[in-house]
Amino acid sequence: MKEKLAGIVGGLSADYVDLRYEENRKTRISYKGDQLVEVATYETSGGHVRAYNKGGKAVASFSDPARASGMAGAVAASAAIAGGRRDKPLRLADAPVITDSFPIRCEHDLRSVSFKEKLDLATHYNQMILAAAEIATAETDYDEFVSHRIFVNSEGATIEYEIVLANILGFIVSKRGSVMQRVRFAFGGDADFSRISGRDDDLKKRIAYAQQLLDAQPAKAGLFPVILDPSESGVFIHEAFGHLSEADGLQNNPAFREKLQLGARLGRPILNVYDDPSLPEHPGTYVVDDEGVLGVRTELITQGVLSGRLHSRETAAEFGEPLSGNMRAVGEIYTPVVRMSNIGIDAGEDEFDDMVASIEDGYYLVGAKGGQTSGDQFTFGAQWGYKIEGGRLGPMVRDINMSGELFSTLQAISMVGNQTEGSERGGCGKAGQSNRLSGKDTPPIKIDKVTIGGV
Amino acid sequence: MHRLIENAKGAVDQAELYWKRTHTVDVSYQNNQLQEIAEDDLSSVALRVIHQGKLGSTFAVSPEQDGLIDQAKTAAAYGDRASFSFAPAADFPQVEALNPQTAELRSEDLVELCEATRDAIRASRDDLALGVSGQMQKQTLTVETTEGANAYHESAETALSIGAPIKGAGIGVYRWTGSVSPLSPPQTMIDEFLEWYGWTEKTSTPATGKLPVLFAPDASFLYLLPLWAGLEGGALEKRTSPITDRLGDQILSEKLTVMEDSISPGSIGARPFDDEGVPCQRRAIIENGVLRTYLLDQRTASALGQTSTGNAVKRELFGEGTETKPTPWPIRWMIPTGTRSYRDIVADLDEALLLYYGMGFHSGNYPQGQFSIQAIGFHIRSGEVVGRLENTMVSANIYEDFQHVREISSEQGNALGFLNVRAPYILVDSVQVAGL
Repeated sequence: MKEKLAGIVGGLSADYVDLRYEENRKTRISYKGDQLVEVATYETSGGHVRAYNKGGKAVASFSDPARASGMAGAVAASAAIAGGRRDKPLRLADAPVITDSFPIRCEHDLRSVSFKEKLDLATHYNQMILAAAEIATAETDYDEFVSHRIFVNSEGATIEYEIVLANILGFIVSKRGSVMQRVRFAFGGDADFSRISGRDDDLKKRIAYAQQLLDAQPAKAGLFPVILDPSESGVFIHEAFGHLSEADGLQNNPAFREKLQLGARLGRPILNVYDDPSLPEHPGTYVVDDEGVLGVRTELITQGVLSGRLHSRETAAEFGEPLSGNMRAVGEIYTPVVRMSNIGIDAGEDEFDDMVASIEDGYYLVGAKGGQTSGDQFTFGAQWGYKIEGGRLGPMVRDINMSGELFSTLQAISMVGNQTEGSERGGCGKAGQSNRLSGKDTPPIKIDKVTIGGV
Repeated sequence: MHRLIENAKGAVDQAELYWKRTHTVDVSYQNNQLQEIAEDDLSSVALRVIHQGKLGSTFAVSPEQDGLIDQAKTAAAYGDRASFSFAPAADFPQVEALNPQTAELRSEDLVELCEATRDAIRASRDDLALGVSGQMQKQTLTVETTEGANAYHESAETALSIGAPIKGAGIGVYRWTGSVSPLSPPQTMIDEFLEWYGWTEKTSTPATGKLPVLFAPDASFLYLLPLWAGLEGGALEKRTSPITDRLGDQILSEKLTVMEDSISPGSIGARPFDDEGVPCQRRAIIENGVLRTYLLDQRTASALGQTSTGNAVKRELFGEGTETKPTPWPIRWMIPTGTRSYRDIVADLDEALLLYYGMGFHSGNYPQGQFSIQAIGFHIRSGEVVGRLENTMVSANIYEDFQHVREISSEQGNALGFLNVRAPYILVDSVQVAGL
């Protein structure tokens, strides 16, 4: 297959062509309540071709490999048409030509574990949840993705690489009278099955939080100082800042690009943010991206100053900045887009107790519950939280959403905790692609004021 | 009948083939320049079987792929007891959705449409980093079962969207239109886009507290997704829905009617059958605020002792496609209009919000009818739009706040994204607003 694909891209008359072919095996086990609603192991395949020609760009996806050659030719022609309509030609930054293989190996590789063992584990966790008091229902999924990819381009790159990861994840629904609350759980995030098994104690803690939430009061709306736990600070830095570090989002937005020049001060000197695809045991870890570029650590904010950006070859050329290896596609039918690998905040010097003691009237927000960003506006939820009154943690609260404007909020980060914690589950949405391979590694942070929306 | 289903007879108790083929052409302009031409040719297959009373699934790119029935049988060996059957033979409503002129649109046609639209906007505003995209998608969907369902539907739709980032802010203004027929540059949408863009150039802070909120068609997902979460069969089966056992009850304002309008010819997303091969229906979900029916697929209908409402869709809140399990989901909802234009409604408001989007919906407790979002829209004061909202949050519970709908506009607009909806502007009397 590799030689055939290389022959296709080599035979085209275009400035640049690349072709990615994937064979993907997925396993899904899904419980809803006590019902096993899905059991599936299956394989899909397909490819994606991109061409840059005469300053324009065109792409195509195909299911039938027999269509690869025809579609590659059509894409090369479309790229030339697109180039003819542009005032400013698109071009690619130079990148090393890689001819190598990057298989994934680990001691307890999930590929060596039987399907029965995976099903039994999901069943065990699901039963644990349903057997607990005041639990109305649960959803428990085993989600495994094994991808074998071949990348070739017209510069001579020929790369074989793998993506292997699994999660057991879901949510726990507690109920008392008309009050119902949901708490999420997720274990795993790489090829090592031992990170999924033996997590009973962690699951028990999540069940207990779901039960405790039934006694919690809704958060009050208003403007408050908050401490975000590592899960929340991870979502905050991913949603609010991380997406703005993806250069394809800035490429065609002149006003925003002007605002986000390297060297701009974004926060206080205690704030250091990076993206790193080489962090071990994180969901966003990989060697090479889906544009054939090696992934490298990028310092995004250094001592509060914008110091780097995530790039494709196209955006690196346009911005005149270094390659970062962040072009990624979630599956065979998708074109790669610039996206974070594992985003992190370096640990600071503050003890958690000192952070709490510094707040007279505010909240400690715990457990990411998804977030969303549009430019410099962000919003995300917390699974639960605690009121902070007079420098002490108070009662548990629920129904918490916080929102704000990125730049003022980054400046309002006034304390950074001294221990980081990694995420086990990705789940980043961009360009219609939901990415499992997206990690975080962050400490708790204190923000002096954000808007809390209560119900 | 496809030979995969023929072969499945005798090999398994029952089988269901779902086969989708799409041809898509997409042209995208960013900052007024042609950024990318994309053309996809995709095929995807889902095979579900019931074997020895148990349910199993597999997926592929073609029904000709070797071993599909055996793969599904293997999955079924581990699967749960199937408490339902696949769809039987049925007569499907006529839904003409394949306009050959639409299906034959090429990238050159979409380039022409996008450039004409771009140039029309630039004639009024040449200072915008304008994004324009045009798309054509032709789809062929087959659903066949060993129980007799034999459903086939071809459709072609085209869409045009325009948008531009707001200077000095991170958000943008976007408008969208779609049709089963080829589009011309849509002057009404262009005029509205320019007017709305003009409104964004100033910011304004509303009062904090309970305020009237006018939900534009684009924002209808904020109150319709919590409603879906209460209506869908899975939540009823688990009895986690706040409207379990409430058929015939007044659950929303008597001014609100929500129709399942899935088979209207010429409508975006109209279709004769759902993703399980069950006929789609036109019916009232909410009639003058009264709950008339729920949304069921084959599985949840069986669990509840009812029949499917033709609402099985391979869709979740954040996922869709052939590999997604069918779940009860709206096919195409429509909310009937009122009598006055939204501009007249705005003119009567003293202090209010006009929302066209909300960020962070999924973080809220929507299964219980709540949403708490960062408001994207405009501040209305003394009957006029005075600027765009910034740092404003809106929180509501549809089963409480949407009991008090004050007015519904005479215009309707299409909204896509989470749901396929045709909705008017809806003014809710009193909604919690928090801001800086």
